[in-house]
Amino acid sequence: MILPFFIIIPLLTAFLITLISGKKDDWAIILSIIAALSLLVLSVFSFVTIGGNTVVYNMSAWKIPYTICLVLDALSSFMLLIVSIISLTSLMFSIKYIRHLSPSWKYYALFMFLVTGMNGVIVTGDLFNLYVFLEIALIAAYALVAYGSKAEEFEASFKYAVMGSISSILILVGIGIIYSTTSTLTLASIAKVLPERNPQVMYWVGGIFMAGFGLKAAVMPFHAWLPDAHSSAPAPISSMLSGVLIKTLGIYVLIRFFFNVLGAPDIFMTIFLVLGSISILVASFLAIGQWDLKRLLAYSSISQIGFILLGLGIATPLAIFGAVFHILNHAIFKSLLFYNAGTVEMAIGTRDLRKMGNLTKALPVASSTSMIATLSIAGMPPFNGFFSKLIIIIAAVQAVHPGYALIAVVGSLLTLVYFMKVQRYGFRGEELIEKPDVKVGLGMKASMIILATLCVVTSLLVIPGIREVTLESVVSVITGKTDYIFNVLGR
Amino acid sequence: MAVNELTLLVVIPLGISIINIFIPSILRKILTFLGLCYLLFLNYNLFIIPAGDAYLFNEVIFSLDKLGFFTIAFIQILSFIILIFSLKGVVKSIEKQFFVLYPMTVAFCNGAVLSAHALGLLIFWGLTGITLYLFGVLGQTKDAPKTAKKTFIIVGGSDAFLILGFVLIWFLQPASAWSLWNVQLELSGQLAYIAFFCILIAAFTKAGGFPFHTWVPDFSKDAPVESVALLPASLDKLLGIYLFARIVLSLFVLNFGIHLMLITLGALTIIIAVMMAMIQHNGRKLLGYLAISQAGYMIMGVGCGSWMCANGDIKGGSIVALVGGLFHLVNDAICKANLFLTLGSVEKKTGTNDLDKLGGLGKSMPVIFTMALISALSISGIPPFSGFFSKWLIYQGVLDLAKNMSPGYQIWLLICLILAVFGSALTLANFMKFLHSIFLGKRPKTLDNIKETSANHWIATGLLATLCIVFGLFAMQIPIKHFIMPIVVEHGWAIPTLIGSYNPILVILFFGLAFLIGLVIYLFTKNVRYDEIYLGGMEPLEKFRVVGTEFYNEIRNMVPLRSLYDGAEKKYFDVYDLGSKGSFSLARLFRSIHRGQLQLYSLWIIVGVLILLWIVK
Repeated sequence: MILPFFIIIPLLTAFLITLISGKKDDWAIILSIIAALSLLVLSVFSFVTIGGNTVVYNMSAWKIPYTICLVLDALSSFMLLIVSIISLTSLMFSIKYIRHLSPSWKYYALFMFLVTGMNGVIVTGDLFNLYVFLEIALIAAYALVAYGSKAEEFEASFKYAVMGSISSILILVGIGIIYSTTSTLTLASIAKVLPERNPQVMYWVGGIFMAGFGLKAAVMPFHAWLPDAHSSAPAPISSMLSGVLIKTLGIYVLIRFFFNVLGAPDIFMTIFLVLGSISILVASFLAIGQWDLKRLLAYSSISQIGFILLGLGIATPLAIFGAVFHILNHAIFKSLLFYNAGTVEMAIGTRDLRKMGNLTKALPVASSTSMIATLSIAGMPPFNGFFSKLIIIIAAVQAVHPGYALIAVVGSLLTLVYFMKVQRYGFRGEELIEKPDVKVGLGMKASMIILATLCVVTSLLVIPGIREVTLESVVSVITGKTDYIFNVLGR
Repeated sequence: MAVNELTLLVVIPLGISIINIFIPSILRKILTFLGLCYLLFLNYNLFIIPAGDAYLFNEVIFSLDKLGFFTIAFIQILSFIILIFSLKGVVKSIEKQFFVLYPMTVAFCNGAVLSAHALGLLIFWGLTGITLYLFGVLGQTKDAPKTAKKTFIIVGGSDAFLILGFVLIWFLQPASAWSLWNVQLELSGQLAYIAFFCILIAAFTKAGGFPFHTWVPDFSKDAPVESVALLPASLDKLLGIYLFARIVLSLFVLNFGIHLMLITLGALTIIIAVMMAMIQHNGRKLLGYLAISQAGYMIMGVGCGSWMCANGDIKGGSIVALVGGLFHLVNDAICKANLFLTLGSVEKKTGTNDLDKLGGLGKSMPVIFTMALISALSISGIPPFSGFFSKWLIYQGVLDLAKNMSPGYQIWLLICLILAVFGSALTLANFMKFLHSIFLGKRPKTLDNIKETSANHWIATGLLATLCIVFGLFAMQIPIKHFIMPIVVEHGWAIPTLIGSYNPILVILFFGLAFLIGLVIYLFTKNVRYDEIYLGGMEPLEKFRVVGTEFYNEIRNMVPLRSLYDGAEKKYFDVYDLGSKGSFSLARLFRSIHRGQLQLYSLWIIVGVLILLWIVK
């Protein structure tokens, strides 16, 4: 049974790093890379083998609802895979980057706690356990945002902590209401009992969770923490936050709760559509006005989360396919873009687009991979973002939501606008920069090249034959809605 | 197993592009040249024996009808000739990227035209936009990054609308199954109109139609001249008008109002662009505006196509205009590519494309001057060159359509026609300015040592100029008979009889006669007195040199044109600048409520929760 290892490996690594690392960070790097590699192997194995099955692991000899259970299905193995890919590349990127910033084993220990929290949220089948893992991930994230120890980083971390706490309180209140109504905390049991006991509570809790987990996902109007936190954090942490954290703590939980527990009530699907649309448009305009590269990327994350919510809100199998595909794609290209931003910041010491120039000679890997990421996120063919956005647009029209299709099209256009600004000022400006101030590390280059390759390779996931054995099974878990109850509890 | 020839049209140039990354400069050029030679040969084979469809996963991916063949043929011809020009003279620092992008662009353009499925078209269409941008960033001017950004935002942005257009077509007519042929969607209902306008935006943007044309002059000014000749001057125009023709011929059944709108947009494109060309001082920008202006004729001609009578038959005039529009597409692509190349030759010798700094180069670069002259006369619609005949067909078609209409619509069409004819006259006026500024008048001292350009420039511009002449003299026998009329026949339409008579041989005889009369007059009055200009005893300074750009200063200052020109120069009519201003205004508005205050953000969360609870109560 591999399920607990998704939590044990990073948790144990975090403690090991704390115990055996001396003043140097060598052991911390080695241990965390080994852990990330192991997690990647495990997640690939689970994603390839899980198919349409659901694996349940009880943490004690007791049975549900008296035990905490871990659940692995196509959706959770898909999320684990994304977390593993981005964790590994972020760690590779961190080696040189963090040594340049402020070398310490603490960074790697916190990183492993972050991964523990995310993996725990993904595999747990228990609502309170989910809350605990969510807090582990968040506390690690607060510390990592402030890792650079500058005033603006502390401020960002403080804001993030305050707003994160508000959302945690909301989530805790929701959990309390659920427990008082259903007397259970197992998600599958809640799904079974809640509609029978008091359907109105379902909507109240849905509203509270929408805000609580919506804040974790940075959906508008609960997004305000994100631009500060994501732009202040070290680049590999920004990529973890934008690439996977907001999806794991936010989008994944929203999917699990609203689809698999509540059965996707129409009112919440409409809320998904409206909040998704607002996020796409407003965040895009905010990104257009930015000159700080990482802040621009942070607003872009809010906008792209809007696309995912739009797909989920349309709620047809095709739309959900588009949303799931976009979760993967966004994790890849947004992490890559943060690596690019981190490379530039390290090499020439600025995040201000107006102070950059033509970096094609000084930073060839960063500038060429940033071009690929730009084209991907802007939805240009044949990169992955083109297909996920196309699918969402097709699904919106098919579901007779042409207005939302138009919003997706306009959002795509606006994405192109602000990323062309990044290219024009950040990487292909007038002034040619011959040499970087600091040399870019091999791990940094490798992580950028891996993700740039994935921007192209993941496009193949739409090909019939590949699609069925990969994303379709994830979509089945979501569209199966409360089939989750039977998959976990048995018939 | 034999490889499908249509697939080769995409795979071969793409393969060459990839190989070009790894091989040395000389091999890169040889390989690209041989590859494009082979594509020409393939094209000839397709002309003799049409190829079957190409399949992938049991779906037709590539297919070639007569409209496709017409477009593909000229993509190969033009890209081959422009390549000859590019073999020597591309800036060394960008040569590698250029020879990687060049065959790649040809592959993507071929792919877009060959695609039988809308998804294929969307992918290749988007890819051509990417190569356009990458060519843009190779520009050597200070504004090149800015221009590349603008170009890609307009062109790439229009792709997003193209996607929505095709998705809507599929939704409204599921039986079409994303096919590009014989969809024939009736324009009834909002969604059909939205689909139509979305695809029209993409076609107009690529071809440089009003009001999505504004990237063309900037790209023309700042990108490498070879890429300007290749893309906005020829291949992009071929693609844009190809898609426009698809809209008219197979995607939609247009109604009277839409035909009228298209003709009007065509006329507006002609006149607005040609008027803008008059005030340009940069040679490339001037040609860019003239390229847009000529797209107006194509929009006018092709926009008349498939205009039905009450009984459902296609009107004869509509077919004449369509033939004229498509023929004009070929003529303009040839002439405009040639004009950009001739200017490119001059630029490479003199180091400038600023018309104020050039002049008197006709004597030192007579071959290039002759080629530029032929192309300029052709595209200005001077018989017997090809441009005259295509415009002549468009005018005839529009006149024929106006015949049976109510007086109000007759006047409307007549106004459009007058604008088109006036636009043609102004095109000639612009070329007088262009030619005078570069090749005639007094040569600045700085250009005293300028010599003729290299042989590959002569060959490329010579080939294009020859096409201008041959397609003029044998219009009916070659381009119309072999490339355009098959499109009409394929649609099952009757080949129309042309109104009025035009015989290019007779026109040549008249021109010959006029030349002889002129010669006789000259011989009788050849005692012309030449005097030094008296400047109050001063030396004739450089500033007293008459440059062509001053020809139309009066028009620039004329009321009410002056305020319009002022507005245009401040980019008040540029969709890109308008969009930028709007976007930044909204960005400022949203930023004003993101002040970084924790209390405010916390309040948003609380209000958000309350609203959500109120909604779900």
